[in-house]
Amino acid sequence: MDDRAPLPFRERLAGWLEALSHVLPAQAPIRDFVHHNTLHGFQHLPFAEALTAAERLTGARCFWPEARFQAAYASGRINDDDLLAALEEVAPADLETSVAGCPVRDLLRASLLIPVEVDAETHLAWADREGLTPADRYWTEAARLVDELSAPASVGDGDWRPAALLRWHALCDRVGRTWTLRSLLDYLSGEDVLESVRTILQRHLASYLDLGVGAWANPHSAAGFYAAWRASAGCDLGWEIDDQHSIRDEICHLPADALDVLAEELARQVPDEDLWPAYLERLALELPGWSGMFLWQAQHRQTGPAIRMADYLAVRIVLERLLSEDVLRRLTGAALSLEELRGYYAVELAEFHVRDAWRQGRLDEALLQQALPLLEADDPAGADDAAWEALAEAVAAQPTASLRRGRTARLAGLLQHLAWPPAAYAALSGEEAGRWLACAEQLTAAQRGEIWLLAYERHYREQLFGALQANRTRSRSAPRPSAQVVMCMDDREEGTRRHLEELAPEIETYGAAGFFGVPMYWQGIDDEAPAALCPVVVTPAHLVREHPASDAEAAAKHARRRSRRLRWRERLYQATRRDPLAGPLLAAAAGLPALVALTAATLAPGWFGNRLKSWRERYEGRGAGTPAVTATAPAAPGDGPQVGFSESEQIERVEGFLRMIGLTEGFAPLVLLLGHGSGSRNNPHLSAYDCGACSGRHGGPNARVFAAMANRPAVRAGLLARGLRIPAETWFVAAEHNTCDDGVEWYDLEAVPAAWQSRLDQLLHQLREACRAHAAERCRRLASAPVRPTPWQGRRHVSGRAHDISQARPELGHATNAAAFIGRRQMSRGLFLDRRVFLVSYDPLTDASGEMAERILLAAGPVGAGIALEYYFSSVDNERFGCGSKVTHNLTGLFGVMEGADSDLRTGLPWQMVEIHEPMRLLVVVEQTPAVLTAVIERQPPLRELIDHAWIVLAACHPDSGALSRYCPRRGWLPWSGSAVLPQVARSADWFAGETDALPPALVLGAAAGTARGAA
Amino acid sequence: MTSPLEVLAAWVWLVPGLPLAVVLVHGARMLAGGARGDAAERLTARLASLAAFGSLLLLGAIDVLAVHADRAPGHLRLGHWFGTGNWEATFSFLLDRLSLTLATVTALIGWLVTRFSANYLHREAGFTRFFIVLGLFLAGMQLVLLAGNGLLAFVGWELCGVASFLLIAYAWQRPVASQNALFAFVTNRGGDAGFLLALGLAAAWLGSFEWTALGNASRISVVNDRLLVTGFVIAALAKSAQLPFSGWISRALEGPTPSSAIFYGAVMVHAGVYLMLRLEPLLLQVPDVMLGLVVVGMLTALYAWLCGLVQTDVKSALIFGVLFQVALMFVEIGLGWTTLALVHVCVHAGWRAWQFLLAPSWLVLTRERPAPPPAWLRNNQVLYTAALNRFWLDKLARTLLVAPTEGFSRDVRGLEQHFIDPAIGQPGRGQPVHPERPLVRVDGAPGRVLGALSELLQRLENRLLLRGRGGAAERWLHRAGSYLRTVEGLLEQPRYLMMAVMATFVVIL
Repeated sequence: MDDRAPLPFRERLAGWLEALSHVLPAQAPIRDFVHHNTLHGFQHLPFAEALTAAERLTGARCFWPEARFQAAYASGRINDDDLLAALEEVAPADLETSVAGCPVRDLLRASLLIPVEVDAETHLAWADREGLTPADRYWTEAARLVDELSAPASVGDGDWRPAALLRWHALCDRVGRTWTLRSLLDYLSGEDVLESVRTILQRHLASYLDLGVGAWANPHSAAGFYAAWRASAGCDLGWEIDDQHSIRDEICHLPADALDVLAEELARQVPDEDLWPAYLERLALELPGWSGMFLWQAQHRQTGPAIRMADYLAVRIVLERLLSEDVLRRLTGAALSLEELRGYYAVELAEFHVRDAWRQGRLDEALLQQALPLLEADDPAGADDAAWEALAEAVAAQPTASLRRGRTARLAGLLQHLAWPPAAYAALSGEEAGRWLACAEQLTAAQRGEIWLLAYERHYREQLFGALQANRTRSRSAPRPSAQVVMCMDDREEGTRRHLEELAPEIETYGAAGFFGVPMYWQGIDDEAPAALCPVVVTPAHLVREHPASDAEAAAKHARRRSRRLRWRERLYQATRRDPLAGPLLAAAAGLPALVALTAATLAPGWFGNRLKSWRERYEGRGAGTPAVTATAPAAPGDGPQVGFSESEQIERVEGFLRMIGLTEGFAPLVLLLGHGSGSRNNPHLSAYDCGACSGRHGGPNARVFAAMANRPAVRAGLLARGLRIPAETWFVAAEHNTCDDGVEWYDLEAVPAAWQSRLDQLLHQLREACRAHAAERCRRLASAPVRPTPWQGRRHVSGRAHDISQARPELGHATNAAAFIGRRQMSRGLFLDRRVFLVSYDPLTDASGEMAERILLAAGPVGAGIALEYYFSSVDNERFGCGSKVTHNLTGLFGVMEGADSDLRTGLPWQMVEIHEPMRLLVVVEQTPAVLTAVIERQPPLRELIDHAWIVLAACHPDSGALSRYCPRRGWLPWSGSAVLPQVARSADWFAGETDALPPALVLGAAAGTARGAA
Repeated sequence: MTSPLEVLAAWVWLVPGLPLAVVLVHGARMLAGGARGDAAERLTARLASLAAFGSLLLLGAIDVLAVHADRAPGHLRLGHWFGTGNWEATFSFLLDRLSLTLATVTALIGWLVTRFSANYLHREAGFTRFFIVLGLFLAGMQLVLLAGNGLLAFVGWELCGVASFLLIAYAWQRPVASQNALFAFVTNRGGDAGFLLALGLAAAWLGSFEWTALGNASRISVVNDRLLVTGFVIAALAKSAQLPFSGWISRALEGPTPSSAIFYGAVMVHAGVYLMLRLEPLLLQVPDVMLGLVVVGMLTALYAWLCGLVQTDVKSALIFGVLFQVALMFVEIGLGWTTLALVHVCVHAGWRAWQFLLAPSWLVLTRERPAPPPAWLRNNQVLYTAALNRFWLDKLARTLLVAPTEGFSRDVRGLEQHFIDPAIGQPGRGQPVHPERPLVRVDGAPGRVLGALSELLQRLENRLLLRGRGGAAERWLHRAGSYLRTVEGLLEQPRYLMMAVMATFVVIL
């Protein structure tokens, strides 16, 4: 069968399976959740085109519903300027012309404002009957005009046969393109055959992919999914019970090799070989979550027997045929092939016509009553052709609904939003109104979505540009900083930085990707295995272990007691669910303590959480240790990662990082590296809140390792040799910020020499206070938090929240992310940015060639775009791209969540995380000249893809003049000119107090006293 | 003088009453359109948890006083409900060691879960709906536990069933959720049939639904006793998802996590165990039924253990763990170890509430893959398939019960369409009986009979009255009319009126 093909079937199949990764969700097991572009497979297309393609393929909505945008317009979040500017960018026709006396621009603008309602005729007729139709003058006017227009009501006339035949062939042609055979049969019979086996298939899949919940795996699972399924399905009594004996026999006689099955079944089901890849894609997309997880594990899982995607598809395609044959038999009396089916209904056209009308919902009640006995008949031979014929005639004779009401509604909306004087409307003729309508309706749904999105983005962009402009002209003094704090670029840290600067104007802050230039595997004292702490695309070459501090006996005792505690916990949770003997005993022992714990955790989560922690520490002590950063011996090649960093590597890392953030002189006595992570309870999506630059883990160890390296005299000496002088009066410290409870955990404080002690105490105090102020700011967006809290109250609230097992929103994650600044801090210092901006430090003055900018963009661009786009898609269609509400989630196989105990695997972000998100693409403002940036984009294909295809929006802020310009893929750099007037407040708290929604930027005067030196 | 214990005990109806009252308040607020937005949420949650806490407080006070006085209030009759000569239904409560212990544990878990849900369900579309159903459930459960008679307990039993149905279908947009809710509901109706049967028998043979009366049922024969107990046993097996009813509980996990915790993890699943404990005196008289309980319990335990081994999602894995231990409780009861069973229920409920509420934490709580089953089992493909398919219980239920019922109803429909409808006739389908009189239309056999009758009368009328003036009938009627007028004239005179009144009295007396 492969004689025409250039490659043998197996090789082509491998290519097709590879290509599936473009359309299936690529989410890793949930423990390693890392944000990525949901539509990563479409990234090679321009944004708008990709969205259209994705919508066609998956049926998901790719823009916010228009009603949301219209509400934003009504509330002033989008204004007329934004809308008109967006129209300008997208509009298909020449906006300057006019139609029947009205400018096209006005018509389109008005058409965007018309509420999208269900404009089905039946709905409108109902609204009419219920008196819900507005009785304003626009409506009357529109009704008059539509009457005049007198649309010819199309009445079903003539012969229905040619149209029906065309439609039938069109439906058949969809098989292999947008449908599978099952979908076609589903359409014809209203019976989805997948439903009958979906549950058990999901159980097979979950059991096969399981990472550690199930105790008992399929005895044949080592031989692959197909073999395991075949062994199990072959002795499944369910077929007998369902009276499908032949299916079981067939399964028993299937070939042993999944590839043979695929070759055989494809040839059998889809005659046209060109359609095979698309057909497989369709099959995989029917359970996107499970297919995606299967593919992910097939490509990434390293332990255990190989997982083959072909196995999965073989099972799907076999089930597809066997179950379809069953339906076909009931439908037509025989197990026809697709071509035979095509012929069958081409003859039985009357039956098809009735079924078609039925599935489109065109049968009224009386006809449905007549049709049901025929449609539900079990025996196709029993149905008599005459009955179908009569029914088909009756269906064809139904008058098709006139479009009158819908047109009236749309025209009335148009008249209302054009807002002309009534006299002008009175002079309008029906014909002119018709042309208006035609003009207004020329925008497709995708175009409308795009226009609204652009307008929505523009509004925020204008505010942000205005803020940047206004902030430039402020005067600054430049005292010597008392400390420099390097935080993660994370949007959440914008708040921490701002509050720290407000409280301590003499502190300088920096932002960088949260792995601090030290990609590594890390194994802390309490970790069982090393974990990669670096962006997910990087494979670390080094491993750093934490070694127990001096007291070996204490360390051993700690390890012993800790492992004993964990063993008992494990035993308690596992045995009570499956051990027949120990289960009841353990449950009996744990019952009362559990009730007490539940009471305490419910009434005082914060107190109880802290108590537990202190009890734990009293029992097993703290696992104190120091990271062994220095390599003792270089690793042999191919021997896994090298343990520790060598001297030169350390120097390289420290230098590279400091130069990248622009901290090369003017070192303060203390330099703090502040990693971050999030600690919350009872939250399967835990790692989605952690540091994205550390593969969804905590960034503290990286900060710690960096500080340890930078404090070593040998490294300092090496740096000096390379022209980077860190004075002896400077000491590096590290800490980790918990973004959930706003606590800070400091590392290796006992190693800080006494000379720095007082300064350190001061910094500790300042940071603690800043975190409290930050907690109070975060409270404004949390409904259960106190209103207008003091910093202490705020901190207490978020601390309780972090320990609360009942919190579905321990924190809001990146829900507010919207933009990124890459440049000196003086660009944004003193601006209230509402925790919406990624802040990356970069000094353009030392980087004339743009090399550094290139590196930063390459590292931060995809991370930021991944976060922003994942939030975008999970917000616009939470049902398809997101994973729905957390409240019914059920952790499955330790790799994902289902809704309840029987659903597709849900990928993406839960609704609770994106609920307050404003879906926009990331706006990246780089402090560099457009010319340099253009060169950077051209040099780097990954950046070109992101920026030229408009997955992120790039803007440049000129380092000298501060002029802002935005990059447009079509028209190049567009200089910005807008108003730069901003409200001024003394402190952030004055601006956000009592507010609960997203806030525009403001100038914070308190922070402006700070240094202007920034990176300089 | 009444002791404080008695005074408090008389208020015990508030325990189910408070949640029920709050349900009514929520319902009214929803109907009035007031229960929307964040502000309304706070009120909803506060009221619900206040009611749950009120119940807990009241029960706690009764407990303390009862322990202090070293005696439980026992059976309390608070009012008459309805009844006939032979039997009576009352509003009565039974506060003894068993009911007070379990009711207190339930109230505590109920209160904690209510507080938990307030945060967990924040801004859910079904927020108020959830609290209404939760309140309904708490009221129902407390009625089951505290009621002094079977009938009142049955009301609670049904409230729990409805609440369970409504919460499984919490995400009603998902077909799977609503199908499973229906499945659970219908399966549980099997148990209700048993409960009703037992209540009917109790009314007939004992003349009372009171648990106390049922307890000393030695006056009825062992055969009758066995029948009575069997009804209750069926109810208990269905509610606690023992075989053969086990299929529903593993399909009931579609609701929000807190509802799975309180219904299937902690509280409702133990309702059957409570019923058996309550009927202990009755059970003791029929050792063969107790043996049956042991057998069913062991089989269910085996079923739950095997199925539990293959589960790969946390909630299903936990539910089979629950089922296993509830099955053990039935075994304990069957062996007569009722005190052990009571203790087991309480600690088990406490532990499962915690474990289910922490189900989303499984990633953090466990580190290693659980040990595989013993080798003889591990490689048994058939048993594995059976366990993965949960022994095909729901498919069997479908084939053995649902499909025949569907077939039967289809046949009945056919019968009706083809025979009964034409025979009886349908409105709007009538044919004129007589071409000259299109107003009279008939369909079906009775219609034809009536049509014929009207035809006859019509003919009579034509013949007697309408055939011109001076027909025989007219003459007779005139004469009769004049007689009647005379009688009327006489009656209008007072003496005759008095006579008529007297005559009436005589007849009455």
